[in-house]
Amino acid sequence: MARILAVDDSPSMRQLVKLALSSGGHEVDVATDGVEALSVAGKQQFDVVITDVNMPNMDGISLVRELRRRTAYRFVPLLMLTTESTAERKQQGKEAGATGWLVKPFDPDRLLSIVAKVLT
Amino acid sequence: MDGAAADTRCRCETLGVSAEAAALLLAFAMRESEAPAVELGHALERIDQGLRPETGAAAPELTRELAACVRALQFHDRLMQQLAVIRNLLTRLADNPLPQMAGCGAQRWEELLAQLRERLAAETHDELFELLVRTGGVGLPGTSGVAHAEGSSELF
Repeated sequence: MARILAVDDSPSMRQLVKLALSSGGHEVDVATDGVEALSVAGKQQFDVVITDVNMPNMDGISLVRELRRRTAYRFVPLLMLTTESTAERKQQGKEAGATGWLVKPFDPDRLLSIVAKVLT
Repeated sequence: MDGAAADTRCRCETLGVSAEAAALLLAFAMRESEAPAVELGHALERIDQGLRPETGAAAPELTRELAACVRALQFHDRLMQQLAVIRNLLTRLADNPLPQMAGCGAQRWEELLAQLRERLAAETHDELFELLVRTGGVGLPGTSGVAHAEGSSELF
């Protein structure tokens, strides 16, 4: 079981990600944007962070960049979960330090298998 | 001011008011539909917890049904995103000082469309926008890969 932080500005998406990951036995905390996620991640350590890209206050790519600057998150898997799928945006995510790029809508089983893969 | 100019001004003002009203209605409808979607998510969570014995897993067929619900409910989120694009378009239309422009001319409209296209966040938004403005862009080369990208994953 892993401790996972799910970041999305959409309440329903936060719920669905939480539901999918909880059903796989993971412990899930949520944040509504990059700013809140940084605050939450500073108070406790997560094994994986899954974040949307387009969010108010701080977007997902900036969040990944900021987390990678922190020693505690240098090697933690950071996954982008977004509707965006352009090669340009993926490259931006990769350069920021993202571990992977998942395009919505996600399949719960697929999400769980990807989380399992990045945790190994 | 001659009659034609006054008529153009009147039409532009009417368009501005209509766009503003439509944007407000859309924003209201989006806000109103958020709570039921969240409640549905809560209900799914409770069902998931209820189906799970303390130490075991839910029956595979029920897990599959729940997964189908999770997949389907994500389209509400997508709809909200697409409606937000339309709302922003309407807001932008309402905010543009159409009466001061050269008769709501075609050149200005193209400029507005170009600005809006730049703001589109996703390929799906782009497709929707093209559909909305009836430029025949849906299905153009370069947009056909969108459906294939849905649900895809890539580890770097």
